[in-house]
Amino acid sequence: MNDKLLLGRSIETGSWVHKLDARAKITGMLLYVAVILLSRSWMAMALLALFSIAVMISTRIPLKYFLKAAKPLRYLMLFIFIVQLLSVKEGSVWLSIGSLSLHDGGLRLGSFAVIRMLFLITFTALLTFTTTPGKLNQGLEGILSPFKKLGLSPDRITLMLSIALRFIPTILDEAQIIMKAQASRGADLNELPLKEKGRMLVSLLVPIITSAFRRAQDLVYSMEARGFRMDAPRSQYHRLRWGAADTVFVIMFVVMGVAVSLV
Amino acid sequence: MNETSKDQDKEAGENQTVISLEGVSFGYSPEHPILQNITLTIPQGQWVCLVGPNGCGKSTLVKLLNALLPKSAGEIVVCGQKLEEETIGYIRQSIGMVFQNPDNQFIGATVEEDILFGLEGLCLSHAEMESRLHSYTQRLGIDHLLAKHPGELSGGQKQRVAIASILAMEPGIVIFDEASSMLDEGSRDELMGILHDMRAEGKYTILMITHDADEILATDRVLALQGGGLVADVTPAELFLNAELLERCHLQEPYAWGLAHELQKRGIQIDVPASEKELIDTLWP
Repeated sequence: MNDKLLLGRSIETGSWVHKLDARAKITGMLLYVAVILLSRSWMAMALLALFSIAVMISTRIPLKYFLKAAKPLRYLMLFIFIVQLLSVKEGSVWLSIGSLSLHDGGLRLGSFAVIRMLFLITFTALLTFTTTPGKLNQGLEGILSPFKKLGLSPDRITLMLSIALRFIPTILDEAQIIMKAQASRGADLNELPLKEKGRMLVSLLVPIITSAFRRAQDLVYSMEARGFRMDAPRSQYHRLRWGAADTVFVIMFVVMGVAVSLV
Repeated sequence: MNETSKDQDKEAGENQTVISLEGVSFGYSPEHPILQNITLTIPQGQWVCLVGPNGCGKSTLVKLLNALLPKSAGEIVVCGQKLEEETIGYIRQSIGMVFQNPDNQFIGATVEEDILFGLEGLCLSHAEMESRLHSYTQRLGIDHLLAKHPGELSGGQKQRVAIASILAMEPGIVIFDEASSMLDEGSRDELMGILHDMRAEGKYTILMITHDADEILATDRVLALQGGGLVADVTPAELFLNAELLERCHLQEPYAWGLAHELQKRGIQIDVPASEKELIDTLWP
């Protein structure tokens, strides 16, 4: 499966997680972020890993898809690890080369940061893998509906999010086409020195943004031609239903939060 | 109701004007008008083709019909309703539009969501949406693609989804804005098959923008635009027999016509055929 296609798309396996109400999954994910922040020891990390992997396996989606979701951020994770390793001067020194010294604390905090980030990305990918964008929108709308009183428009926010998600692969395609067109005229991004690369990237941005605006205009025409009007009433084909399994799912995360903060 | 009155009703329906433009003009600035003083009427059930060189205002004209662009002057009446701010909703329900690029008109993240987008906007009941979703996807042969994402579909399949999304809203008028120009030969034939079926049903008025001679030949009437004005209102046969008009519209006669004319010049007595198949059948009965 193409990496690009994994962005924001659901993978249907019919597992129990797929059948949950989108609102329960979004709440679960928000609680998961809290669980990650509460995990401050190796024991808590191990517990977090066990829980996360167990839930991922229960979706019946191959684990490699979750790892693929984290792959684009591997260099960022490496960078964070190195920064932590070099900057934290707590605990005993385990390696010293000239003025450079690496401490236990740096290794521990660097590892924690990478593990947290890895689980955050892979586990939150579970939300998009197990929920169709339409249901995700409905779930978000449901979660954000109390903010209507504050003047927020949940349907506008979810519409923007769904269109943005829907257009990521299209814009990536467009970028590839423009890069190939420039390479065919002798400006291959991969073979240029770093300084030139930066300049080339700027020249890439202009056609990509222009094309994105053109596509956005076409999409607006298409939406309006199908009678779409912002804030006009709409019926819903798929209705969300909160069941006992949804409550259990949310409680699982609360219990995990308590468990990791105790160990 | 007896057969005669049914026929009379059908005839009355067929002759009823569904699109009427009176002195319609459009321009982004008064100094640079794109369309000038367009006056025309289209009766119910007709398959009309809009032709003309690039930039002559064809797409602009169809976008004026359902207020995707605001007219600068004139009057537009669609299905008996004068186009005004209050009637835009009704008119957009009456007119469906299929655009050129199938990628840019895919709104939902899946085929099902894309078709439901328009239906949910009509505030239909769940049962009605389900019935239309399955009926139109079956009709267009895409019922097995409901869970697919746009990235998993071919250009032809995406265009079928776009047509199903429009037809499911049950408009009386369907506009195809160069809908076949980005399709391969097979998908283009499929699209033409769908259009022929729609005409046979009799309940649709079709307005199509194209540069393809064979597609033009299939229609009932040709409206030619040039420089922002309507320069001809003819039948496809009249268009292809008028060399000057063909040149003005940057069009070529259909391949079968050209071949038949060349054969006639060489003394072979042959009628001008309606299609390549008809030409082959005439030559080798």
